[in-house]
Parts: sequence; structure tokens; C-alpha cells
Amino acid sequence: MTALVEARALTRRFDPRLTIGDRIAAAFGATVETRTVRAVSDVSFAIRKGETLGLVGESGCGKSTLGRMVAGILPPSGGAISVDGQPVMRGGHKTTTRIQTVFQDPFASLNPRRRIGDTISEGPIAHGLVTRAAAPAFVADWLTRVGLDPAVATRFPHQFSGGQRQRVAIARALAMQPEILVCDEPVASLDVSIQAQILNLFLDLRAALGLTCLFISHDLSVVRHVSDRVAIMYLGRIVEIGAAARIYAAPRHPYTQALLDSVPKLRLDAASVAFRPIAGELPSPLSPPEGCAFHPRCPRASDLCRRDRPVLTAQPDGTEVACHHA
Amino acid sequence: MTAPLLEVTDLRTHFLTRAGVAKAVDGVSFSLAPGEILGLVGESGSGKSVTGFSLIGLVDPPGRIVGGSICFAGRDLVGLPPEEMRALRGRRIAMVFQDPQATLNPVLTIGQQMALALQAHAWVSDRAAAERAAAMLTRVGIPEAASRLSNYPHEFSGGMRQRVAIAMALLNGPELIVADEPTTALDVSIQAQILAEMKALARESGTALIWISHDLATVSSLADRVLVMYAGRIVESGPVGEVLRAPRHPYTRGLLDSLPAMAEPGQRLRQIPGTAPSLLALPPGCPFAPRCPRADAACAAPPPPRVESDGRLFLCHHPLEAAA
Repeated sequence: MTALVEARALTRRFDPRLTIGDRIAAAFGATVETRTVRAVSDVSFAIRKGETLGLVGESGCGKSTLGRMVAGILPPSGGAISVDGQPVMRGGHKTTTRIQTVFQDPFASLNPRRRIGDTISEGPIAHGLVTRAAAPAFVADWLTRVGLDPAVATRFPHQFSGGQRQRVAIARALAMQPEILVCDEPVASLDVSIQAQILNLFLDLRAALGLTCLFISHDLSVVRHVSDRVAIMYLGRIVEIGAAARIYAAPRHPYTQALLDSVPKLRLDAASVAFRPIAGELPSPLSPPEGCAFHPRCPRASDLCRRDRPVLTAQPDGTEVACHHA
Repeated sequence: MTAPLLEVTDLRTHFLTRAGVAKAVDGVSFSLAPGEILGLVGESGSGKSVTGFSLIGLVDPPGRIVGGSICFAGRDLVGLPPEEMRALRGRRIAMVFQDPQATLNPVLTIGQQMALALQAHAWVSDRAAAERAAAMLTRVGIPEAASRLSNYPHEFSGGMRQRVAIAMALLNGPELIVADEPTTALDVSIQAQILAEMKALARESGTALIWISHDLATVSSLADRVLVMYAGRIVESGPVGEVLRAPRHPYTRGLLDSLPAMAEPGQRLRQIPGTAPSLLALPPGCPFAPRCPRADAACAAPPPPRVESDGRLFLCHHPLEAAA
């Protein structure tokens, strides 16, 4: 059981920039209110080689920020991320090509003014994985592997549909021959039938290349489908992490339970369904509640929850849960 | 069987573009009873949103309703003078769009715009309007509604804004609400709240609801009947449970099989090959034939609509077996 990717106490704060007035006031000794957002607080986990860890949570829970830190795109404010014991970032810069990323919106992540063949080969040429002379054959090979016609290498991103663009984005990430792929909502903007095609492509390539993955999505059924283990995030922290089959069958944290309950399931019987929404609203990350962040919405909250924040604790079956009443 | 509130017959909405005629909606017929919830599902470009816009008379050029009729409470809405349509829209037919940010006016308070929505259709004093607005906001689950009337849209969260948009749609007690992907941009926990509220409202007030969505799971737990659209046509319709349990059209089957929830974790999904055809160059026969596993020579001719005794309809030469 060797961890390939290890995150230790990852934290990310965002400090809003002070206005010039505030800076002058601060220089004269006034106390200026800085509203720091703690997008990710003290998150630790490990991903074993060949494993896919699914990361789920609602908007603003910090899952994308966490993904960007794992991918080495965003430097953490605290803690560290390592691959095989080697740090992914040093001095604010990424030090490895072993991790690559596929983003949600392939329209925003592909340069609209470059031919997609050049987009795919740029990284590998820069890192000496392929020579400029061999690049066309290399690009053709990758386009074939993601199910595109090699002849499209000379086209621009706008000439592709959303699903095809996501194939290009996958080819670009994998052409760097990474061992680890961070996928941030890779199918969120796609139609159902196209989503199935991209998920199948992902499953095929993951098996063929033996990839280790961090798969981020708000869609619980997609995460269930691709993940070996899942981590549930709420307001910047992991509240439950463990084997996907166990968590989906018997969630322990009240938030995980509520989240799974609130997802509309495909009903094949005519029976009328009662929706069971989670009470209340997601609190602002600017002023997270004291104690357990979920306590204002939790049916089982007690005085203890209002006072002390629960830490992730291992359960007998290996699942870790951060709840006083799990 | 009550008389239908809405009867759409052979509706055709085409977009006359420079590249040709895009038949976004091409021969759509359905009816809706008071208090009924109808799910309209399909993928991007299937014509589901254009169908919704056609019903409320908001198809912009180069789009145009070129044929068919939309009979609402005994009156044909196609060809209705704009001022008569305006009197209807927002009062008897209301709509909720995907993006509440785009629906709400950013420079007016919620109370001001809700009062305008009321006063556009009837003489209502400012005070009475505020009271009705607050009552409606309370009904869709906005706490301390009266004090929030003086807030601007940006002071609400995304889920709250969508609830404000729904409250505005409900203000005049419409008989029909057309909701176009109203929960797509929202998180699951907020989506569940809004679905619960919409269902309760339809049941309590007898408002008919057309719920346009790409999400089969949402539709399956909300709607009474479902229409499946593909390339501008309704390819299958019927009671939602029966259509989803035993689809007769191969496209409906393909959509269901594409869902990760329908497969064993980690197994390949049974995907539909290819992509939807361009609306500018539809094949002459069945538009789904190029992607269909059951297609043969017969599919080069347009499939005839088949109506079953149980209220189901499908457009296919080679339908799947009916459930035993």
C-alpha cells in the first residue's frame, strides 16, 4: 500500500487586495478589516498508485482549489503536496510533469488561436518528450487514441463540438505522459450522450495507461462510476473519505447522508417521491460557523458540535469521518 | 378527463439563417391538463428550449413560428397581436429561466420589480403589492421575506435568486408555468429544495408546469408525463414511469443507458455513438437513424407516429418491445 500522491495539511487562504485607501489607513496604524477566505483548510489525504479518488462537494466547498493545488497550479498557503515523496511545487513553481490536468470548460482551456495539433505537441516538445520533427506523428497517435481523426490536427478549437474539444483537452494532458491526472469537472458541460462517450474514453485510457486520478465533480453518480475511493468536502474540509462502495451504501456523516438523499434518483416506478432537501443555506466561507461547519444545518447537532470542530477519525471499516455523532 | 389547458398541434418554429433553414421545432404536438407536470427532455439543440420560447411568444428573429397552433384556454397564441400576448404573458402564462441573474433587474430592488410585475396586469396599490410579494417570497421558502424586499438581486445567493424568480412567476397566479432548466445551475441541495417547492405548488394551486430539462433523473421524480425530443421532434412521449422503465424508442433507451447511475461502477457505459445531426441538414428519414443500432433501409423514410392505447406515442419504424 504505497501512496503515490500525498497531501499533508493543505491549506489555501485568499486575501482580498486592500484598496489604496485601506493601505494608507493601515500605514497610519488604523486597523483595517481584511476578510480572508479560507477556501481549503488542513486537508490531508493519499492516493495510491492506480487509484482514482473522487472529490465531491457543492459550489464553494473548495474542491477546485484543492484540485489546483494537487495539480501544482496554485501554491498552497500551508502544507505540501508530494508525488513519491518529492514535492510537486518548490518556490511557487511546479517541479514535475508527472501531474497533468483536464479542466471543465474545454473552450476556455484551449488557445483559440492555435491549431490543436500545436496545442497538443507544445508541452511535449518543450520538455523533450518528442522532437519537433516527430511531432506530427506523435500528435496523430494521440488524436487516434482519444477517438479523433488525425486529419483534424490543423483545425482550430472553434471547429469542434464540446465533446470533441474535451477529447482534445484529454489528449493534450496525456501527451505529457503523466502518471497522475487531475480532472476538474471534465464532463459537467456536456450532454448526457456525449458525457457517456467521454467517461468511457476516460475509463479506457485510465486502464491502458495505468493512471492515478483525482476526479473532481459535483455529480455524485459520475463520481460513483469512476472512483475507487471518494472524499466529501464541506466548507473547505473533508468531512468523510473512504471506499466509494461503502460511502454510497452507508454514508456516516450527516452531510454525506443529506447530500445523497437530495440527489434526484432516476425513478422507474410511478410512485410519487418526496424530495428531502438539506435545510438551510451553505454558510459563507468568509465567516464559517464555530465548531463543526455543518452544525447549523445538521439534524443531529449538539452543544459539542457548536463548540468543538470534529476531526477526521478512522472507523472500523477504514472510512474516515469528521463527526461527533457518526 | 378534464379539458386540456394547452393544446399544441404540429408546431413548427424555424430559424431562417444565412446558412439555410434550421428546423429547431418541426411538427411538435402535445396537450397539457390543468395541474399537470410535463417533463420536456432532450439534449442541446433538440429544440426543447425553442418549444418553450414558442409557447410564451418569445422567439426572436431569425426564428419564426411557421406553422401549427398553440391553443391556450381556447385561444390560439400563434399570430396573436403582441399587446394581447403581453397581457397574457406574466399573468396567465409565466416563465422561469435557467439563469436568475439574467431574469432579475440588477438596479431595482426585489420589492420594486415584484410590484412592477403585479402592477403591469392590474391596479394594485404599492402597499398591497408589497404584501403580496412578501407572502409569495415566504411561500417559496425565503426567510424574513418582508425585510428582504428592499434588497437588490446581488444580495441574494444563487439558490435564493432562483426562488425569487419563481416567486415572481407565481405572483399573478398563472395557469401555466414554463420552466427552462431552472435548477441546472444550482447545487443539488438547493435543487432539491426548489423541486420540492415546485411540485407542492403545482399540486396545491392546480398550476400546470412544463419542466424543460436535460436531466432524466430530475424529470423522473417530478413530472407526470414526459416528452423526449430529438432534432426538433418529439420521438417518444407518455407517462414518465412507463417511458423510462420500458422505452419504445431507441433514442430514449440510449439516453437512459448513457447515465452512470444505470451501469455498474467502473464498467463502460453503453454510449450512443456519434453526435446529434445539424438542424440545417437533417436526413430525410428518421433523424436518429445514423446513430441507431436498429436502423435499416426502412429508416430512410420518415417514421410514422404510433399511438398506443395507454397514452404513449413514439416515432420509430423499429420500436423496442413493449414491457410484458
